[in-house]
Amino acid sequence: MSTLAGCVPGGGGGGGDAEGPITIGHLAPLQNPLGVGSKRTANMAVDQISENGGIMDEEVDVIHADTEGNPGTAESEAERLVIEEEVDVMVGTFVSEVTQAIMDFVAQEGVPLIVTGSAAPSTVTEFIGDDYDQYKNFFRTGPINSNFQAEAMVNYVNHLNELHGWDSFALLADDAAWCQPFVDTLPGALDEEGYDLALNQSLNINIDDFSPVINDVVESDADAVIRFFAHINASPFLVERAQRELTFGIEGIHVTGMHPAYAQLTEGAATYETTSQSGGGGTTDITEETLPFVEAYRERFADSDPPVGHPMYMGFNTYDAINVYKEAVERGGTWDYANDLDGIVEAMLETDHTGVAGQIQLYGQDAEYPHDAMETRDDEGTISNFPITQWQPQGALECVYPEQHATAEHMEPTW
Amino acid sequence: MLSGLPAVLINAALISALYALIAIGFTMIFGVGGVLNLAHGALLMAGAYVYLLLARDTISVPVFESMTLHPLLAFPLAVVIVAVLSYLLYAVIVQFVEDNPVVTFLATIVVALAATEVVLHYAGSATHTYTLIPDGMLPSTIDIGPVDGILTVDVVGFVVSWISIGLLWVYVTKTDSGRAIRATSMTERGAQLTGVNVHAVRARTWLVAGALAGIGGVFLGASTSATPNMWLHPLSLAFIIVVIGGIGSIKGSIVAAYLIGFLQTGVGEYLGQNFRGILSLVLLVIVLFVLPQGLFGREFDHE
Amino acid sequence: MSSESPSVRVTRRMKGTLRSALLPVWNVLCMLLAPLDRALQPIANVYNRTLGGHFGEMNGLQFAVISLGFAAIATVPFWSPFYSETLNITFAVASIWAIFAMSWDIQSGYTGYISFGHSVLSGAAGYTIGLLILHYDPSMGPATTIPVAVLASLVLGLVIAVPSLRLRGPYFSLITLVGVLLFTNLIFAFSGWTNGELGIHQVDPFTYEPWVRYYYMAIPMLLVALGLIYISRSNVGMVLVTIRENERAVSSAGLDPTKFKISSFVLSSIPMGIGGALLVYYGRAINPTSFVEISNSIEIIAIAVIGGMGSVVGPLFGSFLFFFLEEEFLRDVIGDSSLRTLVLWLFVLSVLVFARNGVFRVIWHGLGAVRGDSE
Repeated sequence: MSTLAGCVPGGGGGGGDAEGPITIGHLAPLQNPLGVGSKRTANMAVDQISENGGIMDEEVDVIHADTEGNPGTAESEAERLVIEEEVDVMVGTFVSEVTQAIMDFVAQEGVPLIVTGSAAPSTVTEFIGDDYDQYKNFFRTGPINSNFQAEAMVNYVNHLNELHGWDSFALLADDAAWCQPFVDTLPGALDEEGYDLALNQSLNINIDDFSPVINDVVESDADAVIRFFAHINASPFLVERAQRELTFGIEGIHVTGMHPAYAQLTEGAATYETTSQSGGGGTTDITEETLPFVEAYRERFADSDPPVGHPMYMGFNTYDAINVYKEAVERGGTWDYANDLDGIVEAMLETDHTGVAGQIQLYGQDAEYPHDAMETRDDEGTISNFPITQWQPQGALECVYPEQHATAEHMEPTW
Repeated sequence: MLSGLPAVLINAALISALYALIAIGFTMIFGVGGVLNLAHGALLMAGAYVYLLLARDTISVPVFESMTLHPLLAFPLAVVIVAVLSYLLYAVIVQFVEDNPVVTFLATIVVALAATEVVLHYAGSATHTYTLIPDGMLPSTIDIGPVDGILTVDVVGFVVSWISIGLLWVYVTKTDSGRAIRATSMTERGAQLTGVNVHAVRARTWLVAGALAGIGGVFLGASTSATPNMWLHPLSLAFIIVVIGGIGSIKGSIVAAYLIGFLQTGVGEYLGQNFRGILSLVLLVIVLFVLPQGLFGREFDHE
Repeated sequence: MSSESPSVRVTRRMKGTLRSALLPVWNVLCMLLAPLDRALQPIANVYNRTLGGHFGEMNGLQFAVISLGFAAIATVPFWSPFYSETLNITFAVASIWAIFAMSWDIQSGYTGYISFGHSVLSGAAGYTIGLLILHYDPSMGPATTIPVAVLASLVLGLVIAVPSLRLRGPYFSLITLVGVLLFTNLIFAFSGWTNGELGIHQVDPFTYEPWVRYYYMAIPMLLVALGLIYISRSNVGMVLVTIRENERAVSSAGLDPTKFKISSFVLSSIPMGIGGALLVYYGRAINPTSFVEISNSIEIIAIAVIGGMGSVVGPLFGSFLFFFLEEEFLRDVIGDSSLRTLVLWLFVLSVLVFARNGVFRVIWHGLGAVRGDSE
């Protein structure tokens, strides 16, 4: 269909731009601190690349589009980026429904899309995993998908059991696709390890009253809650827990909790909560690039609006994604997706990049999760690019797992 | 399950007072001017965010320098500000369109949507939480009878709500200006004929309703959180309560608020969160078809 | 004794003063345009004689504006690139929303019973198509799915209308609001089927080719417009307007207003279903946010209002105006998305306060009054 593009009034789609500058389209929820962090690191990456001569001597620039976390908005922004701005690559997207909503259009146009925020495995299995040729423009450089995260979670739970003797847990999750793997595999896995799953609830993402949930947790007598919240903001949950001085642990993933000033924002209610986050929240050197990057971010944005301490997980991934793309283009010698998408794909799949969130490699065409970020395993086969941070007293953020990155030991909640 | 019953009852009783407060403001405006103020939820939102602005320095707006006032100062100030905002809403927009209920309906919801954008612009889409009662003042939980772990802020909200309702009752029954409001809501023409300045009454009603919304908003934000979309749910709740209780009837709003409060808490606890909203909606539909004038009100028939 | 406040009276006086101050400007305009109007009148009269009875009579200027407007809509892909690359796409979306707004108008604008629930009707159509493709037969083409979708919309319209239109004004609106909330809840409750917030993306759109896609949307839109204008000008339309102005008069004339109210709702469900189906085949992923949530209903209402409620054509142009502002003009002026949306809502608010009959209607009446009573 794109061959008709030049022949009809109004023209067709973008068709890319075989001559520079190389334009990166960045899609994120820009009214969310997470999106703000991602926008800033995208700018940082592009500025750095420009300072070092651009990509293949071509200028690089980035255009930001606000998805507002809304699939319909994201669809029209994606169209705008491709048709009006003629971007050569798209980077970003946070919630999986946004990622999946733009997937068909972007695949149709053949623009490379590098996802840096959403973790649902179905984004891979239902698209590129189902029809490789149609969706081979898709890549995910981070975070590792929730199936891997679930596996890593089980190992973390073992670690908690070793430390504190915890063996009874309550599972709470967003009622959303990215949590499906957790809900499907964790109960069985925990059972296998001999733990007791005292409570298992999927919560409506529009929940506003957490009291019944807290009461259920208290009644279940669980040692810790393992919660997976990206849509749900659990701040009221933490506030009530703090006010009632409850001592169950809070583990898992909580995107809102990744805000660098979160302990302060919740007036200390977030103390002892942990969350996994790509990049480790700037507490530790996941790779040798991590801390210098966080330092540079802090310096540049010290006087800006939050997030100030570090850009939150998507920011780490976006920064890496842009650098991965740069290297791939230089390796393959092309960014012209309209004529040589396969060349770009081949180059991308050769990625072995030391990023700020971890060592980045991508699965190949025949893997279970084609073009998805590979999980890093240590010598014992445990997944290690799944750092977990904990808010410790006085607002200190520490990395508590895995051991090779930990800066402090995980603390049991007390009041 | 039954061991949870006292806790459920107490929590329901506490939250219903807040619901009543929210509904009363809505019903007063509906009763006096025949105006469905769909921006009522936005005023609640304003209460929460204005309080945040005054008591915390996490949001920055132009011109206004960040301050962290003590809650005892920030709270009344926030309430006054929201009351003024409500009055301005009437004076600047509504009074020019109130002759046409449909246009007013639409104008107020557009105001609510515009308010969301303002909040989004200055406070972002992030959720803001705040504790109303500083640690030093009161313990954060209270034990009531067999139930312990009741949040103090919920109890304070309950007390403040009832005090406000009480003060309101005194105002509309014992004072001339308050009685004028009540008279106008019963029959506008009749009130005019007895020399009531209907316009002044309306302005006053919006001011009072705004104050109630301000109080409700601060407590709502404290017990749940402040988000840019927090206005839709309390608005629909207020609408449901007012219809069930009867237009313009303060008594009706209180009774209906307790009905809904207990229903929602009970359903949420025993049937799960997903059904909480649905059952209230079903009750509303039933009431609308069976008892359109509500429990205590007259049918909507504004002259 | 007036119940108007002093400020309302003052404003009214100010408006009067403003009007008299602008009178000379208006007179000059009339002087310039009247000859044009007179010149075009013969052509307009040809139309008036033939179709005027069905679609409404117009004077020369009005005829010119309408013809130009429709001609512009029919040729968007040819002239839009001169403005921007994306105008094509913006107007394709605007066409779909024009269908929504016109459908809403024939019911709410005409009867005065404001429905907040129209997004449920398009949502039903959208989800019907999605569920058919996802769970029944992925190879089903639009020729099969669209009629089923429209049927679903129609049935749902009946289900909502029959019980709720017995109620008056705000109660009816409340029920429709409840309908939206219920429907959204149901989508999440049955997320095993509907895929919850992720929605259904498996439906292949007609095409991604912008100009072809535009015609796929605009042509049905124009047909719907013709159909609805015809109905609005018929006796049915007249009854609906009378319901808005004075419902009791309708029943004293021996007609059952409830029957007409229900018909208008059902009538409006059909194009809502068509619009919902078009939105799916435009390429929008079928999810609660894009199809059902209350914000969609409110946008439909806002579009109809700024165009001009109760005129069918008003909402059509209102949609193009709204989307032009939102996606093109304001984008060039304001970078921040929440500020942009704020300005858009403030614009809608100003239309409500200052020109509550709608932008299009104001222009229409203005054009009609150019020659005044002098002829």
